[in-house]
Amino acid sequence: MGGPLMWTGLIIATLFAMGPFFWVLLASVKTRVELYAAPITYIPTHPTFQNYVDAWTSKLTPFSTFFANSLWVSSVTMVATIVISTLAGYALARFRFVGKNTLMLVFLATQMFPAVLLIAPLLSQWNALGLIDTYQALIYSNFSMTVPFTVWMLVGYFESIPRELEESAMIDGSGRFGAMLRIIVPLAAPGIAATAIFAFVSSWSELLFATTFTSRTDMRTLSAGLLYMVGQYEIQWGQLGAGVIISTVPVAILFIFLQKHLIQGLTAGALKG
Amino acid sequence: MGNHQASVAVSAPRPFLSHATRETIANYMYLLPAALCLGGTVLVPILRAIHMSLYYNVLIKPQEYRFIGLGNYVRMVHDPVFWLSLKNSFVWVFAAVSLQFVFGFAVALVLNAKFRGRAVFRTINLLPWIIPGVVVALIWEYIYQPNYGPLNDILRRIGLMREPVAWLSELNLAMPAVIFTNIWRGIPFFTIMILAGLQAIPDDVYEAATVDGAAVLQRFWHITLPMLRPIIVVSTATRIIWTFNYADLIFVMTSGGPANATQITSTYTLMQAYSDLDWGYAAALSVILLLIMLVFTTCYLKVSKGVESVAG
Repeated sequence: MGGPLMWTGLIIATLFAMGPFFWVLLASVKTRVELYAAPITYIPTHPTFQNYVDAWTSKLTPFSTFFANSLWVSSVTMVATIVISTLAGYALARFRFVGKNTLMLVFLATQMFPAVLLIAPLLSQWNALGLIDTYQALIYSNFSMTVPFTVWMLVGYFESIPRELEESAMIDGSGRFGAMLRIIVPLAAPGIAATAIFAFVSSWSELLFATTFTSRTDMRTLSAGLLYMVGQYEIQWGQLGAGVIISTVPVAILFIFLQKHLIQGLTAGALKG
Repeated sequence: MGNHQASVAVSAPRPFLSHATRETIANYMYLLPAALCLGGTVLVPILRAIHMSLYYNVLIKPQEYRFIGLGNYVRMVHDPVFWLSLKNSFVWVFAAVSLQFVFGFAVALVLNAKFRGRAVFRTINLLPWIIPGVVVALIWEYIYQPNYGPLNDILRRIGLMREPVAWLSELNLAMPAVIFTNIWRGIPFFTIMILAGLQAIPDDVYEAATVDGAAVLQRFWHITLPMLRPIIVVSTATRIIWTFNYADLIFVMTSGGPANATQITSTYTLMQAYSDLDWGYAAALSVILLLIMLVFTTCYLKVSKGVESVAG
């Protein structure tokens, strides 16, 4: 399989995948005049970064604040998720528990639970606890999304590491926890890295929780900020374009460098069935 | 590990718990954080949703808060928007997933070939999947913009359109438009899955078939497809469940409009909670969503177990 047919297909597919993104990238460097010109222009004749400056320093939709919020919430979610799911994944892989199979099924099933299902009760819950407009509400809510999947993934990973490794360490006098930290965790690093990326990217992209649980502009994440921006009066396409690029570049770069791990983790689980 | 025993023959007090019990407790401690997470952010909210669904609970009418039993569910049965949302959900899932699958498969076949620069093309083709949902929605909202967006511009320049069409505001065009965006976003998912499956098929299987005189199409039908069956089933089932619940795109692009043309059950639930502030009704819808989810998940587990046993 090769030749012109394949190359045609490849070019079409790649243009299709990249095209929309390029359109917005070009729009983000256009001046107001060019954005609203008729007929519309494609390549800007006077590219400018003004839109980015406006978006970053805007009082109404401060992307600098949105970016900082996204970074904080995603980072904390990622670190906490890794700790929580490494502990749980290790335990489920190594120890015998009463009702272990049921527990595994629960982790599998809760992966499928959408945010929509949880929005109403979580909103009521966070409201009652006074956690609206806090980072905590977003971070805890994100766990509902990240922990089930990462535990599921890491159980498989830990199971593939032979027990003898930590058992020999424990014979030498190390405790179970120490053996886990010093021997097993470094070996499981690729799997843990994949779950870390997954947790970070999921939190970064998360929209529903971020929009529903925040009302103050300065507490919004990039996702909620973008949505908020669209809700105001007429859409400023230039600034919106800049905001879109600001929101996407970090995860795109992360993905480009770490895609192998993420894909491996994802497909390993699926191929095992 | 020498422990100095006292020379006085006093028996050491028995520890309150045996070693085995202490070890069991320690083991459960590993699970505790995850259990707290799951409990506090998934299980308790679900129970709470069931409880909330039995009350009239509208945020802006706190004085009318009262127990109404199955009242919200009765309202749902008589709610035409609810039934419309179920129909829309079916269209949404069926159209989006089937086309994502077909095109994702095609791209995977192309990317499976060995050529220089393949990694770059692969990364580019996977990007739509990694972009946040709200970003995808806004990019396409811009593309569909009647006066400033490129879609109408291109269609007009090649003569297929005279009057600008407002894709997301037209009753019959809104759903196809959002479905198309969803397809764009979802193709990489199938590309990744099918590609992984394709690369797991050993070359010698194909070589043996070629030696036996099998043509390209025959190899595809009799070797490739059967060997891909497990991953096709798993990825399609996962995608169906996921797409059914996916509210972000429609929420941002159309909020379920125009006139509920793009309202799927998950976005309807969201709008009730977020926009109408009818938490009781939203909770009831959530419970129904949960039941649908459980049915899907049970079927999925049965199907994937069945596939596993066949694949061996």
